[in-house]
Amino acid sequence: MGAVLAVLLVIYAWAVTNAPTDAVQGVIQKILYVHPPLAYGAYLGFVVTAIGGSLYLWRGREEYDRLAIAGAEVGVIFCTLMLVTGPIWAKGTWGRWWSWDPRLTLTLLIWFVYLAYILLRSFSEGGERTARFAAVYGLVGVLLIPLNYYVIDLFEARSIHPENLERGSLGEGMGWPFVVGNVTLFVAFLYLVLRRWEIENLRARWARTTDDGESLGEEGR
Amino acid sequence: MSIVWAILRKDLVTEWRRRDRVAAMLVFSLLVVVVFHFALPNRATDQAPAGAPGLLWLAYVFAALLGLNRAFALELENDALSALALAPGDRGWVFLGKAASSFALIGVVQAVTAAAFALVFEIDLIAAAPRLAGVVALGTLGICSVGTLFSAMAIRTRFREVLLPILLLPALFPILAGAVRGTAAALAGTPIPFEAIQLLIVVDGIYLIVSFLGFEYVLDE
Repeated sequence: MGAVLAVLLVIYAWAVTNAPTDAVQGVIQKILYVHPPLAYGAYLGFVVTAIGGSLYLWRGREEYDRLAIAGAEVGVIFCTLMLVTGPIWAKGTWGRWWSWDPRLTLTLLIWFVYLAYILLRSFSEGGERTARFAAVYGLVGVLLIPLNYYVIDLFEARSIHPENLERGSLGEGMGWPFVVGNVTLFVAFLYLVLRRWEIENLRARWARTTDDGESLGEEGR
Repeated sequence: MSIVWAILRKDLVTEWRRRDRVAAMLVFSLLVVVVFHFALPNRATDQAPAGAPGLLWLAYVFAALLGLNRAFALELENDALSALALAPGDRGWVFLGKAASSFALIGVVQAVTAAAFALVFEIDLIAAAPRLAGVVALGTLGICSVGTLFSAMAIRTRFREVLLPILLLPALFPILAGAVRGTAAALAGTPIPFEAIQLLIVVDGIYLIVSFLGFEYVLDE
């Protein structure tokens, strides 16, 4: 999977550099090939966290809790990068770094929810109780996404954030770099989540073997 | 159901004998109101600032955070929290009892704070009182439901007083969005917009259900 990702990244970089430059926005428009895929990854990460958390509450197996950690951490990274790339584009296009646009506000709130999730984990003493708390908080967090959408819909429906997908406003030659960007970052997301999950599983196994006084090698076989 | 009454009664009786939680919240929220007065030095004295509803809710949220932080502090002594977890029946009823007692105590503080706020900012409280009380009750119900759930988690972590605001504030956005708009209408003497009431009822319902179910996983023996 790592090799596939490496190849994809090369194609992706090539596609983005060779994509036509936007007539109005200029080179800054190329953030489009990064920013929306990051958004999908961010939300996907938080959904993974909720799924891991609920599976943990249901089945009580620690692996699911570790999957929830992986989802939250990778989700926060994607969300942070989205919150960094967005304002760079906005400064070039809207003329200011931030506007309290509904979608921006929502993303910022969700970002805070998952930062709180990670803080909750690191402030707890670990083990089964932390897993339970985190699962409950992760579920409340994922519930907040549609709830906040509903609030924004109710009160401040106007938005200046582009809706490229709905309007199909991509110019000639911009479509396929966009697709490549989505595929590459989705693979990157999967890769990071799986590796993070694996690390957490190894760490748990190592903790168990050192507790029992056995060697890691024997346990591994 | 009897668990709810037993816990509510116990909390109110202990509070009546010690009076420390309400006293702390009250002094704190009055101080916040006075701080607002100094933070807005150049306003005309005979009219409320445009941000008055938001300021009032800031004072309410700060006071609620203080009170909710102490919601399980007594139970921590002598490990009474484990005894609560062993209460016969669903732990959701324990949650309802704790949330109800916080709701009652915070309500007392809110009433006094509103009076002080009206004095400082020249608001006709008598005219606004019925509508204001309705909006505040709906908003506080939501705050107390997730607040009780998160407080039971935060109390079991390091930095408990610090963690509760971090966990709770992102979840309060939907409540504050409705409550501040409703309060603005109440203070202006106009009918409360239906969207605000609708939003508060929906959010209260969701938060109550989630917290009722989630509390099962938050208490442990």
